[in-house]
Amino acid sequence: MTRSNHSSVNPSLSSLARVIPTLVLILSFMFFVAPLLTLSRYALQNVPTILLGWSTLFDKWSLSGLTKAFSDPGFWDALTITLRLALGAVAVTLVLLVPTAIWVHLRLPRARAFIEFLTVLPFMIPAIALVAGIVVVKPHVRWFLNSDLSLIPFYAVLALPFTYRSLDSGLRAIPLHTLVEASRSLGGGWLTTIVKVLVPNLRSAIISATFLTAAVVIGEFTIANTLLKETLPRFQATYTGREPQGGYGLNLLIIVVTILIFVALNWLTRRPSLPRRPFHHSSATAEANQETST
Amino acid sequence: MNHLDFFDVAKYFGSTTALEGFSLQVEEGELVTLLGPSGCGKTTALRIAAGFERSDRGTISLGGNDLGSRPAHHRNMGMVFQTYSLFPNMTVAQNIEFGLRTRKMDSRSRHQRCSEVLELVQLSSLANRFPHQLSGGQQQRVALARALAVRPDVLLLDEPLSALDAKVRGSLRDEIRNLQTSLGMTTLFVTHDQEEALAISDRVAVMSNGRIEQFGSPVEIYRNPCNSFVARFIGTMNQFPAVAMDGDRVQLGNRQLVLKHSFPVGEDIRILVRPEDLRLGSDGYPGSVVRTVFQGAMSQVIVRLDVLDILVTVGGVRTDDDVSVGQRVHVEVDAKQALCESAAEVPGDVRVA
Repeated sequence: MTRSNHSSVNPSLSSLARVIPTLVLILSFMFFVAPLLTLSRYALQNVPTILLGWSTLFDKWSLSGLTKAFSDPGFWDALTITLRLALGAVAVTLVLLVPTAIWVHLRLPRARAFIEFLTVLPFMIPAIALVAGIVVVKPHVRWFLNSDLSLIPFYAVLALPFTYRSLDSGLRAIPLHTLVEASRSLGGGWLTTIVKVLVPNLRSAIISATFLTAAVVIGEFTIANTLLKETLPRFQATYTGREPQGGYGLNLLIIVVTILIFVALNWLTRRPSLPRRPFHHSSATAEANQETST
Repeated sequence: MNHLDFFDVAKYFGSTTALEGFSLQVEEGELVTLLGPSGCGKTTALRIAAGFERSDRGTISLGGNDLGSRPAHHRNMGMVFQTYSLFPNMTVAQNIEFGLRTRKMDSRSRHQRCSEVLELVQLSSLANRFPHQLSGGQQQRVALARALAVRPDVLLLDEPLSALDAKVRGSLRDEIRNLQTSLGMTTLFVTHDQEEALAISDRVAVMSNGRIEQFGSPVEIYRNPCNSFVARFIGTMNQFPAVAMDGDRVQLGNRQLVLKHSFPVGEDIRILVRPEDLRLGSDGYPGSVVRTVFQGAMSQVIVRLDVLDILVTVGGVRTDDDVSVGQRVHVEVDAKQALCESAAEVPGDVRVA
């Protein structure tokens, strides 16, 4: 028996140590999954709420609530706005934040702690405070706030705590100074250096930042509601008031899509960042070699 | 003309002086090494040449053209770094072609040049590998090929061998020197390893505290160090306490030696002698062997001298002579190559005795 080698370990203790993590895993799984299952019963079973119980577990499952929500023109408008906002917020975040994070790491390493503090401010300041701020300046920037896309900067700011952190850890993981200097010494300007050298090596960090920003946009309600923008979360809230079942259905769908996004994120960022384009080394000519040997 | 000139360059980091009054000329096709302990400013000087740091004073020029305002990516210098600097997302070939792409070379010429330089560093078979699939020595050779691919005016080498193990370091050192000579490449090499510096360079600038202490050929700085810092930094140096006598004689223990230089009578001086200028013989200062350092055919023998009670290193002892610890020996001093300095001066001028 190999166990006899470990005589110092109490066997009952070690089996307990194996059981506890499994137990915790099961409990937390239930904690997260049970509400989702309940929600899906509300959303997808055409059974009066009061009758939902064990006996009706398999009765009248249907997507009719959802399809009804989909047939509401307001849904598609809201979805379009939210997708455009997500795209916009991702673009703003990447275009502004990637060079900023690189610059901070290269030139202002001592300011790193301060910048990190700045980026978590959206965490500490409630969204409603941000909205109160908007209201103060509203008369002066009405032209801007009238556009649906005016939410983009707010969402980019709201996502900062996540996006900056992910870029920051990505930058810490690569030999930034050496890569930049190698590129510059080979004639690479700043744009070439960032696009050709740094971005490919920050791939995971950038993918994380992208998905995190999108997740923030898909879930944000307070600011959109205050500025009266018909985004998906806001549509969902008002629609749930009118059609509870369809509203719950949308809710469930958004949660599932978000989970899928994070699964995809996990999968994408775990793969090694190797380019898949093979290099064709065909034109090695004899004269070329002769020239160097003479 | 690709001669690289530093004139009176100074660089300060806050209150720290990294470089001061730094003037140096690297002739076309010459390999000059900046040698010194860490923090002596050698890397700063190289980085100023590369354009990664701006000097606070002085000028730097290439072939007579001022480089001061030219950004790093317009200097046409090839650089090899101490740490592995290949782009991890690119293959060996793509790494090498990077500098050619920034120069807008067409793809046919790029591939051709890439094969040429891979041939130069004998790594043609690894063109499609990624950096993480290469050994440290291979990575540095690719980095060298990448730097050479762009036909730089100057090659800058920032301790490129220090991360490698001893055997690879030796062979790559020779390879760099061979390539440099055959290509006639003006090269600035930075190292803290004096053995490396002496082996590879046309001229060596020994630096300390942001200044050049001495600039000369390896033989010059080894045989005729201009001061005690250089004397002690390059190679091993034995120090004997002695007292100046009249004329050019000094009293060393119970004997007198004749030097080429005279000091005021009665002054305490130090005599500096290389291990190879000491011999074990029948005549000389008696002592006992403390330790032997096996170096192949030759050994070094550490001897404690009876009279002076100091340890000296005797070099070039044939290992076959079988000197054992505790053995009584006599150490002869060859005063012809000895250097001397006043004991009061720290670190004073060393005069060739």
